[in-house]
Amino acid sequence: MLDAKTLRTALQEVSRTMTANRQYLIELDQRNGDGDLGISMDEGFAAASAFLDASAETDLGKLFVGMSKAFNEAAPSSLGTILSLYMMGAARVLKGRETADTAALGEALTAGVAKIMERTGSKPGEKTVLDALDPAARALSEHAAEGASAALQAAAMAARAGSDSTAAMKAVHGRAAYYGDKAIGLVDGGSIAGALLFEALARVANQ
Amino acid sequence: MKKIINKPANFVDEVMEGIVAAYGDRVRFLNGDRRILLSNTPVREGKVGIVTAGGSGHLPVFLGYVGQGMLDGCAVGNVFASPSAERMANTIRACDRGNGVLCLYGNYGGDNMNFDMACEMVELEDDIQTRTVRVKDDVASAPAAEASRRRGVAGMVYAFKAAGASAAEGRTLNEVAQVAQKALDNIRTMGVALSPCIVPEVGKPTFSIAENEVEIGMGIHGEPGIEVRPMMTADAVVDLMLDKLLADLPLEAGSKVSVMVNGLGATPKEELLIAYRRVHQVLSGKQVQLVMPYVGEFATSMEMAGFSLTLFKLDAELEALLRAPASTPFFTNENI
Repeated sequence: MLDAKTLRTALQEVSRTMTANRQYLIELDQRNGDGDLGISMDEGFAAASAFLDASAETDLGKLFVGMSKAFNEAAPSSLGTILSLYMMGAARVLKGRETADTAALGEALTAGVAKIMERTGSKPGEKTVLDALDPAARALSEHAAEGASAALQAAAMAARAGSDSTAAMKAVHGRAAYYGDKAIGLVDGGSIAGALLFEALARVANQ
Repeated sequence: MKKIINKPANFVDEVMEGIVAAYGDRVRFLNGDRRILLSNTPVREGKVGIVTAGGSGHLPVFLGYVGQGMLDGCAVGNVFASPSAERMANTIRACDRGNGVLCLYGNYGGDNMNFDMACEMVELEDDIQTRTVRVKDDVASAPAAEASRRRGVAGMVYAFKAAGASAAEGRTLNEVAQVAQKALDNIRTMGVALSPCIVPEVGKPTFSIAENEVEIGMGIHGEPGIEVRPMMTADAVVDLMLDKLLADLPLEAGSKVSVMVNGLGATPKEELLIAYRRVHQVLSGKQVQLVMPYVGEFATSMEMAGFSLTLFKLDAELEALLRAPASTPFFTNENI
């Protein structure tokens, strides 16, 4: 069951994961981006986690808004803002709730994916973070009845598989698009950050 | 680098202090924040708010058009960098009187992202209605088939004017957004550059243009243009620009247009008038009627030399909006 306390624990694990992968993500991004991916994921999730640690708020919607703003301020890069929009989209669904079951979380994260698509005009299949976040949200909803741990495990696997599938894709957005066909064969760095996010959440749910 | 500055790091803040020192009768900071400029004329009951935002280094764009009849507020970033979403959201909040706010700004990645985020924030937290219209007038930045990727340049000044005048008439948010888009559908710009600009904190030009060359289609942050050519005469360069612009926005005989010849920062007004003279010759020859010319600096790029040419095709509605009164630090309707 997601509430303020479990959300706090979850974001602490996500933040630790991004810190541990900071250098790895920087190096990934340097192949076809500008190298700031590891920095913005590390600092963005650290700020979101710090916000939750300091907040006494119990409304999940307000907590997601606060995370989103903290994340955006700490990581105003393109991917940083995309993930902030993701949290904003989820916040709309969670507004007014102090707890959310796995089905509600699936619904919220699906709304987050829809918000990114609406605001950025991008969609899955274009070698972006959406290729991890979209299958993860779907898997979470599909497996919701099996409980949080199993559903997040499925979401993490779907995110990783989605990320792996970006290797065959051609980038159409951002700096990576300048590389065109040359980037085919490389996995998208943003989608790897998405996979790391859901793997961290699955670990927390398993504890 | 030789500039009239103090510490490069203080460049934007000191410019903003200068703006309020000089034009404090018309504009002010929001709660002392030197990165948010508001009109001294508060958004009146029943009026839609209009805000913009963008990086510094382009005066009078963007903040120079905050005032009566144009923009209600503007969030200001560092040189050539978007302001934060939080500042944009604060600007939107300050300009909403319950009738919603139009976010009207140039199509650049950072500004798009941050404005999207800001609109989400005010919709979710404050129930403020927003509409977004992005300026994409630079024909050199992408072909017509990919017009949605085009950047926003000097033509945004016309859009600010049309949207501002329609909001002043008391039109609704949707109507103001529609008229801004209608204006933009009739606005096209193209620029040429002769020399680069220097960002104060960088201290040296970020690109170069050879002494005997002109870069056709360069963006206002030095984005690469369409081609580099040997230096040409004023008439030849205007003819080339008009060819590109008219291919995108045909002007039939009898149509009416306002033309803006905009200096990029280091081009004398004399040269701008030589360019305008040629535009006038060519368009008059096509039986196009030129009204309300704008010749001067409207959207610059620090000390870049060169100019841009903007065509604004007018119908009766757009002409009336362009002629409506406005009073901002850098724009008044002297052409009436």
